[in-house]
Amino acid sequence: MTDSDTRTAPEVPRPSLSAATGWWLADSLGAVLFAASLAAIMGNWPLGSDRVAALWLLAGLVLGGAIRAVAQGLAAQAGQVAANRVKQDLHRNLHGVLLPTRLLRRRLVGEDLRLAVDDVEALEGMIARFNPQRSAALLSPLLIAAFIAAASWFSAVILLATLIPFSLGMALAGMAGKAEADRQMLALSRLSGLFVDRVASLPVILSFAAEDRIARQIGDAAREVAERTMQILRIAFASSAMLEFFAALSVALVAVYCGFSLLGLLPFPAPERLDLQQAFFALALAPEFYLGMRRLAAAYHDKQQGEAAQRRIDAALAESPAAGAAGPAARSGTPAMLACTGLTVEYEAGVPIGPISAAWQGPGLHAVTGQTGAGKSSLLRGLVGLAPVKAGEIWLDDQAVPPVALRHLVGWAGQGAMLLPGTLEQNLTLGSQTAATVPDELITRCGLGDLVAARGLALVIDPRGSGLSGGERRRIGLIRAIFSGRPVLLLDEPTADLDPVNAARVIALLHELSASRLIVAATHDPALVAAAVSTVALS
Amino acid sequence: MIDRLLAEAVDGQKRAARIAAALAMLAAIAGVALLATSGWFLTGAALAGAAGLGAAGTFNYLLPSAAIRALAIVRTLGRYGERLYGHRAALFALARLRPALFHLLASSAPTLALQRSGGEVAASLGSDVDALESGVVRQVTLPAALAAGAAGVVAALLAGWAAALAFVAVLGVIYVVGRLGAPAVLARWRRDHAQALAAFKRDYASYAANPEEIAIYGLADQVSEALAVHSRQIAQTRLALVRGEALIGGGQVLFTSLGVAAILALADSGAALAALAALGAAAAAEGWSGLTRIAIDRQQVDEARGRLAGLADLPGRIGGASIPPGNGIAMTIDGTTHDLPPGARLRLAGGSGTGKSRLLATLAGLRGDAPERPAIGGAVAADLGLDRLRETFAYAPQDARLIAGTVADNLRLARPGVTPDAMWTALRTACLDDMVRALPAGLDQWLGDDGARLSGGQRKRLSLARALLAGRPWLLLDEPSEGLDLTVEDELADRLGQWLDQTGTGLILVSHRPGLHRLADRTWTLGGADEPAG
Repeated sequence: MTDSDTRTAPEVPRPSLSAATGWWLADSLGAVLFAASLAAIMGNWPLGSDRVAALWLLAGLVLGGAIRAVAQGLAAQAGQVAANRVKQDLHRNLHGVLLPTRLLRRRLVGEDLRLAVDDVEALEGMIARFNPQRSAALLSPLLIAAFIAAASWFSAVILLATLIPFSLGMALAGMAGKAEADRQMLALSRLSGLFVDRVASLPVILSFAAEDRIARQIGDAAREVAERTMQILRIAFASSAMLEFFAALSVALVAVYCGFSLLGLLPFPAPERLDLQQAFFALALAPEFYLGMRRLAAAYHDKQQGEAAQRRIDAALAESPAAGAAGPAARSGTPAMLACTGLTVEYEAGVPIGPISAAWQGPGLHAVTGQTGAGKSSLLRGLVGLAPVKAGEIWLDDQAVPPVALRHLVGWAGQGAMLLPGTLEQNLTLGSQTAATVPDELITRCGLGDLVAARGLALVIDPRGSGLSGGERRRIGLIRAIFSGRPVLLLDEPTADLDPVNAARVIALLHELSASRLIVAATHDPALVAAAVSTVALS
Repeated sequence: MIDRLLAEAVDGQKRAARIAAALAMLAAIAGVALLATSGWFLTGAALAGAAGLGAAGTFNYLLPSAAIRALAIVRTLGRYGERLYGHRAALFALARLRPALFHLLASSAPTLALQRSGGEVAASLGSDVDALESGVVRQVTLPAALAAGAAGVVAALLAGWAAALAFVAVLGVIYVVGRLGAPAVLARWRRDHAQALAAFKRDYASYAANPEEIAIYGLADQVSEALAVHSRQIAQTRLALVRGEALIGGGQVLFTSLGVAAILALADSGAALAALAALGAAAAAEGWSGLTRIAIDRQQVDEARGRLAGLADLPGRIGGASIPPGNGIAMTIDGTTHDLPPGARLRLAGGSGTGKSRLLATLAGLRGDAPERPAIGGAVAADLGLDRLRETFAYAPQDARLIAGTVADNLRLARPGVTPDAMWTALRTACLDDMVRALPAGLDQWLGDDGARLSGGQRKRLSLARALLAGRPWLLLDEPSEGLDLTVEDELADRLGQWLDQTGTGLILVSHRPGLHRLADRTWTLGGADEPAG
């Protein structure tokens, strides 16, 4: 059994030179071949004279296109493979941390679900598309400029020179855009969720006859969202307009320079001698100079989504307590005493459950009573560090221990039992290290005899329950806890959902077990309370 | 119905949509023309320059060079305007659609409407509407793709008929593969991915519901292994989808180069026009490939539309005659008819599962299936319908749902024209006024993730205050003091009792906590069983 405590913290990889980046650069090389073939064709126009040469040049054109097609495809695939790897790793590591600590982090299942599944999916775009293209966007202009320089160095200089106003412009527009987005953020986040919130609140709205007013409010809010979003977009689109402008401008500048140079009409001394083939090569390749950045801009949304998801994942991990604290050396055998002093559990700020002080002698059967909401389940969870404990101490045999230390001593049977895909027998033996089979006697005494007789121990179970009732699931949890052989049993309502006959059987079994184990049962059942050696009443 | 609503909403933005489409076409044509003119200019200049200064003097270089610069500007401004107006049209059109959809949902029979308003359902409704918004934005790019293709054909035509025909053939292939083939091929992988994701979520939710055993028995690895099946499936379907899209995109790039090669092979014009045709066609094919993207996204929009169309099929609400005020309530429990005069205070008792909450919800009109068949003024509640019943009953349900907004927003739901004074009075009766006064913005404090987070007991009391403000003849309260400690509960009972005395409002209360029992002047027990002790 690998202890989840020893998992490494899941991480999202930093952008780096990767296979996908390499393929994006290969795409640039394909463009170079295409441009070179095109330039050669134009330089030797008309083609009719030398058929063989013509065919080679046309083939070069098509080959350039083919290289681009293959490179783009492989880049996308490589990006996705990398993203898949990260996602699968995250699933493995993240879920191991999130699942057991959900209550500690005070989160609902729905919130964790969004985090564990949707946010991990949201990372995909950033890893598969944005990160490789970010490296490519930095390198490909240099690569293109180098090839252009081979034909017309001045054109390359022109292109590189446009990078300066371009960067300045993008930086300014980016800052302005961010400032505007920050200004609008609070209002937008409140307003844009309004529609979904009101739909989800429909029962309340209907019962107060407020639907017309709320429909108007939704309309007003949506219009305000539209106005505010337009204000952000005006600036955001200005950045992309800047990119489009420089992309178009670079083509125009190269065309005009090369044209005037070929005409011999440059207003300054010609820096180089150009022929048609060289000039055409420079022109055909010019659009590629800014292509990397245009692709990057198109993937920007992926980056924003990915970063937001990353922040949420990091925040959740930061909230999870360091699972590494293993506590004192493993004990075995039934403790002589388990106690807590001043134990206070707080799920919501300002609403403490407790303080609770109790001492239980081992071995023995003990009951914890109290009305619903008084804190019975919270107490049990607090003892094993599964509920947010605000204050208090836990004692094991006269020594104060962190709650985590109790876990391997405890067999747990709660309000519901987790089921793993497998057979019924496998689920019953989940808590145990040994390969032994569960004795029939235990199954019958816990009230699961009918189920096993009807559907057998080999019954295949899926996590959703495959037709088992809530009561049957709880009994599986109970058998699991007992069969685990652990010296301490913490049971939450073990006889709920049981008819009096089966309840009596379970109580008798617990009474027998209490000769060698320390059992603490939270319960409403008066018969169980009567069989207990001590009762702690929570109010 | 949905299509009609969407068409109406988009219609309101006709002007913006037309401007966007026009600018999109202008930008697309300018993009093709920029490259075509540059190629023509360069080649023409080379020929003129090689022929000597005389020829160079007669070559009109001013016009093309100016045109090239102008085209660069036209393209940039066109793209900017296209994006701006396109998003404007989409945002404001959907701003009209959302309230209309809400109204549709709210006008339907309550039980069906409520099935469609759970948290997850509401979230997916929201994302379907968002998908429609993207659909409207994309609609604008369709004319751009067509214009690019047309401009490319014109450019190819300048190099000869054969070249033009070859280019049209290439465009045709790209169209067939992209617009017709791609969605069909990719749809299957998208479906598989969605299913894998849904299965993952279902299983994860099952594990997350009972997480204690994972920590205690150290089952994290096994759970990860069980979930890994879905994780792998998700990875596989995504990879297949990406491969499919890459194949289609790659095919289009390859065909583009074939098209350019064909134009050059078949061109029967001079070098300058051949250059114009080649570069123009390359730019045009890139714009034309946008059709594939549109077709793929169109599928998602259609799926969203299909899901939303279900809303339109919901039946409307039934309604009965108005209930005259002052009428009592009658219900049948265990075969006996019980009568409740106006202004009475009833406590409903019974173990869990005996249907107390269901009875309250039926009285409120949100359900119709309480076996007690409650009747008001002789008319059965289920026949009267929600619209009539909500005039008589103010309901504070067990789950105390608050809307995203300020304290005042929540209180204003109760009825139109609620004044701040009335709000404070209601808050005082609900023992919540001190807490609200202590909030930084008081009544205008935003509640929710970025504002004050209320505890369970505070939410209950706010929900109670809201019900008090509604001023209906009867108050229905389901576990109003849950989460309160005994002192506050006692104070609440006092103040609520005073309020009921002052206003003469009737009360039907469900509460297993003894602290509120003294509010009731009678107790009826459902389910025939006694309440469990303690």
